[in-house]
Amino acid sequence: MSEKTIYQHLQEQGVSRRDFLKLCGMLVGAMGISVPPLESADFLFQSDGVDQRMVQRVAKALESKTRAPVIWLEFQDCAGCTEALTRSQSPTLIDLVLNSISVEYHETLTAAAGFQTEANKEAIMQAYHGQYVLVVEGSIPTAAGGAYCTIGGRSAVDLLEEAAEGAAAIIATGNCSAFGGLPKAAPNPTGAKGVWEIIKDKPVVNIPGCPAIPEVFTGTLAHFLIFGNLPELDDLNRPMTFYGKTVHDRCLRRPFYDAGKFAMSFDDQGAKEGWCLYKLGCKGPTTYNACASIKWDAGLSFPVQSGHPCLGCSEPDFWDGGGFYQGQSAPLNPPGMVSVGTAVGAGAVIGAVMAANNASQKKRATAAGNETYREDKKEA
Amino acid sequence: MNWNEILEFSRGALFNVALIFFVAGMVYRLVRVLLLGWSRDRAPAAGSKVGGVAKSFLKGILIWPFIPWVKRTFSKNPIIYLAGGLFHLGLFAAIFLGTPHMLVWKSLLGFGWRTLPVPIVDWLSAGAILAMIVLLINRRINPVLKLISGPAEYLSWLVVFLPMVSGYMMTHHMFFRYEVLFSLHMIAVDVLLIWIPLSRISHFMFYFFSRTIHGLEFGKRAVTP
Repeated sequence: MSEKTIYQHLQEQGVSRRDFLKLCGMLVGAMGISVPPLESADFLFQSDGVDQRMVQRVAKALESKTRAPVIWLEFQDCAGCTEALTRSQSPTLIDLVLNSISVEYHETLTAAAGFQTEANKEAIMQAYHGQYVLVVEGSIPTAAGGAYCTIGGRSAVDLLEEAAEGAAAIIATGNCSAFGGLPKAAPNPTGAKGVWEIIKDKPVVNIPGCPAIPEVFTGTLAHFLIFGNLPELDDLNRPMTFYGKTVHDRCLRRPFYDAGKFAMSFDDQGAKEGWCLYKLGCKGPTTYNACASIKWDAGLSFPVQSGHPCLGCSEPDFWDGGGFYQGQSAPLNPPGMVSVGTAVGAGAVIGAVMAANNASQKKRATAAGNETYREDKKEA
Repeated sequence: MNWNEILEFSRGALFNVALIFFVAGMVYRLVRVLLLGWSRDRAPAAGSKVGGVAKSFLKGILIWPFIPWVKRTFSKNPIIYLAGGLFHLGLFAAIFLGTPHMLVWKSLLGFGWRTLPVPIVDWLSAGAILAMIVLLINRRINPVLKLISGPAEYLSWLVVFLPMVSGYMMTHHMFFRYEVLFSLHMIAVDVLLIWIPLSRISHFMFYFFSRTIHGLEFGKRAVTP
């Protein structure tokens, strides 16, 4: 680790001033930021849809800041978020984040293995205590004393707590590390948890998704590395810039939803015409993510565009949120025939008992009434 | 507890409890009415009971409500006739012919059906909501209605109004985030399900019950109107 600034480091790699400024512009775009408050003369600073004042701010930050180390831990994951990241649409940006901003420890990408890498991680955590960014991929098992996931003989909980202790901020990438994801699906045998359920004393940013959208992850990481603070978050600790709107809000099939034109099956005429997939179980209306605007593979497509309903992968417990192909309005686990039958039986029995009670009361009242009538008659 | 958890609860556990209570409650109500006791009818039948029931339903639901001048309700109180009709029409359109609701029925019954386009259900629902407001004002203004209206009547109005208005807001993504409106709508529906057996909204079942009984009686005596 050198104490050179990020810009100096890039210069050493042969990045020209022109390319550097281009990179800054790309970063501004990726982070989705602008200079507040917006003024009427803002268009003067706009170039290619990017605010040039912001680019200069980013450039200044990169010229003055030293590289910040990133430690990337993987627990109960599929490495899908890493896979997605390494196949991102903006390779220069990823290169900046992964190489220039220095990922010091990454179980999938690190070439070295075994004790050396572990020793390197220890050294980095000590040298940059309180400064490094901790990225977590995969959920953390808590059942059986954390025995379901161990690395180098230590449990995931143990490793996470140790690494989180000296972290400046934690980024949980993917639904697993954010909310528990697939490992947490009922009955959750491993007692899987998201990072923010375990680490309470550090800022945790959640970048949920399955996988997380690479540009969303890099944009958020870049924001922290450049400005030294976290972007505005929602109540689930997700960056508002990317998770402020639902997939439904920005869906290209939205006009068909409004017009009431729905595909009824995956191969009917409606599906071929590109109609709304709501009836086929789309979770777009309650799913906050940038899929519909950033998309995947260089803006090529995203699930709904490709003809598959949204699964809601950026929301907590999406595996247990009802069937993937069941309409979202349908109840989660509707009561079965046994419960309904029991309810019918219970209602009938209680009704019959009450009615019998009523009948006997009526009988007694009638008898008493008759008795009184006879007595009155006798007296008369 | 965040809104996702509230939504999960109101769509899951709370809905199930409400539905079970609703089923048990309505069966209880029906059994109670059936076991009230029936007087023995010794007169020989003069006409067809089935015919009487058929006539009763045909006229009561399918024909008369749509010919205003044969209904005395219309000549006596056109507001109740029009607003009441509009309300029930919108309610039925939304519950049975709105896509999201059909999917609820499908998950409960195992089969679905074709639904109306969103804008049509939307306008009918808007009409129903407006009709409910008109009916409430009418209830407050009309001296007789005001006199016979107690807390239960206003509560019934509110318990029906909340799911309608939250559902409308949800379709239009108004004011709040979708999952917030979805949760509120589901909670309102769950409260409605619990309230129905306890209140006069149970007329949705007893209406058909009394139409059948009256049709039977009239048909048997050959005095169908």
